[in-house]
Amino acid sequence: MGKFLLLAFRNVFRNRRRTIMTLLMVGGGVTGLLLSGGFFAFMVDGLREHTIKEGLGHLQIFTAEHFRRDEVRVLDTGIENWQQVAATIQAGPHIRGVAPRIEFYGMVSNGSKSSVFVGSAVDPAAESSLGFTPRLSSGTDLSPKPSGEVEAIIGSGLAKSMNVKVGDGLTILAVTSDGALNGVDVQIAGIVKTGYDEMDARYLRVTLASAQRLLQSDRVTNLVVGLDSTANTDAAAAALAPRLQGLPQQMVLKKWIDLATYYLQVRNMFFGIFLFLGVIVFFMVLMASVNTLLMAMFERTREIGTMLAMGTPRLWIVALFILEATLTGCLGAIAGVLSGNLLGSIINASGLHMPPPPGLTVPIDFHVLHIPALMIASSFIVVFSLALASIFPAIRASRLQIAEALAHV
Amino acid sequence: MSEIVSVEAVTRSFPLNHDKTRNLVSALNHATLRVQAGEFLAISGPSGSGKTTLLNLIGCIDKPTSGRILIDGVDTSRLSPSALTKLRREKIGFVFQTFNLIPVFTAAENVEYPLLIQGVSSRERRERVAEALAEVGLSARANHRPDLLSGGERQRVAVARAIVHRPALVLADEPTANLDTHNATQLIDLMHGLNQRLGLTFLFSTHDARLLEHTERIVRLCDGTIQSDSLTNPHIEFNPNQGGTHGQVLAASLS
Repeated sequence: MGKFLLLAFRNVFRNRRRTIMTLLMVGGGVTGLLLSGGFFAFMVDGLREHTIKEGLGHLQIFTAEHFRRDEVRVLDTGIENWQQVAATIQAGPHIRGVAPRIEFYGMVSNGSKSSVFVGSAVDPAAESSLGFTPRLSSGTDLSPKPSGEVEAIIGSGLAKSMNVKVGDGLTILAVTSDGALNGVDVQIAGIVKTGYDEMDARYLRVTLASAQRLLQSDRVTNLVVGLDSTANTDAAAAALAPRLQGLPQQMVLKKWIDLATYYLQVRNMFFGIFLFLGVIVFFMVLMASVNTLLMAMFERTREIGTMLAMGTPRLWIVALFILEATLTGCLGAIAGVLSGNLLGSIINASGLHMPPPPGLTVPIDFHVLHIPALMIASSFIVVFSLALASIFPAIRASRLQIAEALAHV
Repeated sequence: MSEIVSVEAVTRSFPLNHDKTRNLVSALNHATLRVQAGEFLAISGPSGSGKTTLLNLIGCIDKPTSGRILIDGVDTSRLSPSALTKLRREKIGFVFQTFNLIPVFTAAENVEYPLLIQGVSSRERRERVAEALAEVGLSARANHRPDLLSGGERQRVAVARAIVHRPALVLADEPTANLDTHNATQLIDLMHGLNQRLGLTFLFSTHDARLLEHTERIVRLCDGTIQSDSLTNPHIEFNPNQGGTHGQVLAASLS
């Protein structure tokens, strides 16, 4: 077996120029897959962390009622006595903090013009402790303990539409939990760019206390939980579930992945693109290798004839060709993994940026992640492709007529 | 004395222009030949006379159109492809005109190859390779690849490869055709010596007069037909291990 492997290994380097060309092709394919896959993974990971840190959190707690029916009145499916629930959660493992939220909507007016807003009421201190900081283009975040005026942060699109800047005032109107209309004057503390144009045109953020006063309710819509690491999501969720059982309201725990619809769509899209690239590389290597291996087979016709004449089983000839192709694939994969990681490191060090994609307003870093699973998968694709490509030439070689093969010039 | 090869009324025809039903050209016509163990037999004749065809048929790397061939008493026409492969592997050694060594193997590894495919243990392979290389005087060149060997040395490696597994029959197709006079003479002496010392049966095709001078029995072919089967010196003991004279051999072969 050792000698047979040695024969295959030496045959790989028999025609060095052709082997180098094959290795370049295979290595290039692996490099391409690693760079594209590494970049996609960076994008997806970035989007995941961005989604979580933009306020989604790792876990969210709602009342079960929230998912059973639509609210008849504002916050009537919200969490009452939320401080007790938050304290219960806070005692769980991997928990960094708990932030209460109220999601509401209403009208905003500058006196001469009105528009719809989508509001989010937060506890600035809790948000800040979890790293959920708004992406301000001007002004400051909400004060944890404001003095005087009610503060608000609004989206850049809404600010433009209302023709206001930091320090200006607006009036917000919303329906209270009793069904009445209530209003409050707010002062613009900051203007935010969420990265999404549609969101910027409607976004409004006030403190939890301000929203509860506006809505005349002490409930919250949900509790957002931040963990020490995204990787601990499942463990933390499993530990929290029993803690939520004995509470007065039936609670439902949602993981970030259950709520990140946009993230899932983007991830699936990138996976589809990567799969498509993988298929292209697979067929590229397959087609080019069949040709190369056939050439090698024709060049070695007399040698194969000699081996067969001496009594080499035909299956050995098939195995030899497949082994040679597999070895070539392994060497190409190693070269590709090395060059892919090297190029990836160079790209990462260069600090390149991509222009903002549609819907986003901020440029994206051009960064490539080094992912072992991707290296293994890419290597497997090319090795399998080469092994598959060798089957046809291998069978042809094994079926050579010995006398004809020996007379081959 | 045992009969190692028996060619019985063998014909081999080839289709012209890939037409398998008509326009057949006959490379060998009703050839009959018997070879006893330990013989040193030359098949002679001009180019196209059917020498290589006859050797290919005896070597079981081609099939006769009609007639049958027995190797060591076994009718090869009744054997399956895998049984023929086994027979070639165990009972026949080949020496080719163009050496046909595996270029990525060293001389020793080339000689080792027949033992490798027979599944001989590595220790025994090492011993037998060293012995075979010593037989052909190439112990010092064991680790050289074919491209670093002269033509004569390459053919000696090919001979060592053909005898290393002690086959019942060594077939050599024009073994001296690519060699100069000096190397050709050395090779002839080597093959003859191996025939004498080890009792190996050598069957080779040639039109090299130098080789024929050292050959006791010559089968002459012309246009696919055996024209003559003669002994050059019927009184020479051809095999010290098995006894008998060439006269007896020929008598046995033609009987």
